[in-house]
Amino acid sequence: MTSEAIVLAAVLTFSALGAAAAILLRDVLNAIIAFAAFSFGIATVWVLLAAPDVALTEAAVGAGITTVFFLVTIAKTVRPGGERLFERIEWRSVAVVAILSGALLATVGSLPAVGAADAPVATSPVTEYYLANAYSETGVENAVTAVLAAYRGFDTFGEATVVISAGVAVLLVLRQEAYV
Amino acid sequence: MSGTGSDGVYVESTIIMTTVRVIAPFVFTFGLFVMFHGAESAGGGFQGGVLVAAAVLLLAFAFGIDATRAWLAGPLTRTAIAGGGAAFALIGVGAIVLDGAFLEYVAYDVGSTGVKYGIELVELGIGAVVSGVLVGLFFSLASGDFTTSTGDAPDNERDAATPGGEEA
Repeated sequence: MTSEAIVLAAVLTFSALGAAAAILLRDVLNAIIAFAAFSFGIATVWVLLAAPDVALTEAAVGAGITTVFFLVTIAKTVRPGGERLFERIEWRSVAVVAILSGALLATVGSLPAVGAADAPVATSPVTEYYLANAYSETGVENAVTAVLAAYRGFDTFGEATVVISAGVAVLLVLRQEAYV
Repeated sequence: MSGTGSDGVYVESTIIMTTVRVIAPFVFTFGLFVMFHGAESAGGGFQGGVLVAAAVLLLAFAFGIDATRAWLAGPLTRTAIAGGGAAFALIGVGAIVLDGAFLEYVAYDVGSTGVKYGIELVELGIGAVVSGVLVGLFFSLASGDFTTSTGDAPDNERDAATPGGEEA
């Protein structure tokens, strides 16, 4: 194994442990902290897989803002009593999760290897066009930004519309007299 | 999240206040940097907007959620949401007016760097939308009047039914 693969395996193990802890821990506060650790691990995985834009989003949204929103929300909830550290396992839920995970894992075999040169996304003429022309046509050095804001700008406009609509809807539902 | 005491009243913490006073300006600046510099490096309007919102959330933890809400009172978040969306839409439609396609930055014809500046303006608009939505969402969740309707909530160590109760 190369040193990169070892680091990746270590971070993935950390993420898996964080996810397991988030599921199993009984106290919601503990589960939220474990979930933030899981998100941080996944963000590191994106960095290791050379996807810094996704990593930045995962770290800021998954590990940061979402955690804060969860914390603010559980402050309003009732903490269950009892001394148990772990949640009791519900075997029906385990069955559902196992079926879903199995269905997803069954597709992994048909995916190209990470970084494979003959992966469809690497050999697609669209990809080649972006990489060859993004800088000369838009003047931005980050090809991801060129695709998001220029070539696929209409899609991004749709995303911004979704954020606005969702935000306005939620703010109206949570409307306070003093604010919003 | 020790911004408030167990009785729901904000308690000052010198360590948290000092730390946030040092860190918050850098977080805010880094958020703007990620927004602007998304064209040259990783990042963009979405990530930068989240970071700017995170800076406001830091201030809320250190100096009290209600105090920060009062400081940001007024139509600031609404203006950010609507203004960011409008800027994006206007840049897109403006290109159509100038005989281009939607968001065809070349139609503005402002020199070789015009496309890049157009992209950065769009990123700024996205950042304003995202930070406005997140800050508004945070203050709406944190004020939490919507939980007090369950008047039969049992008393517990979290004092859950108190508006602006303990923040975990």
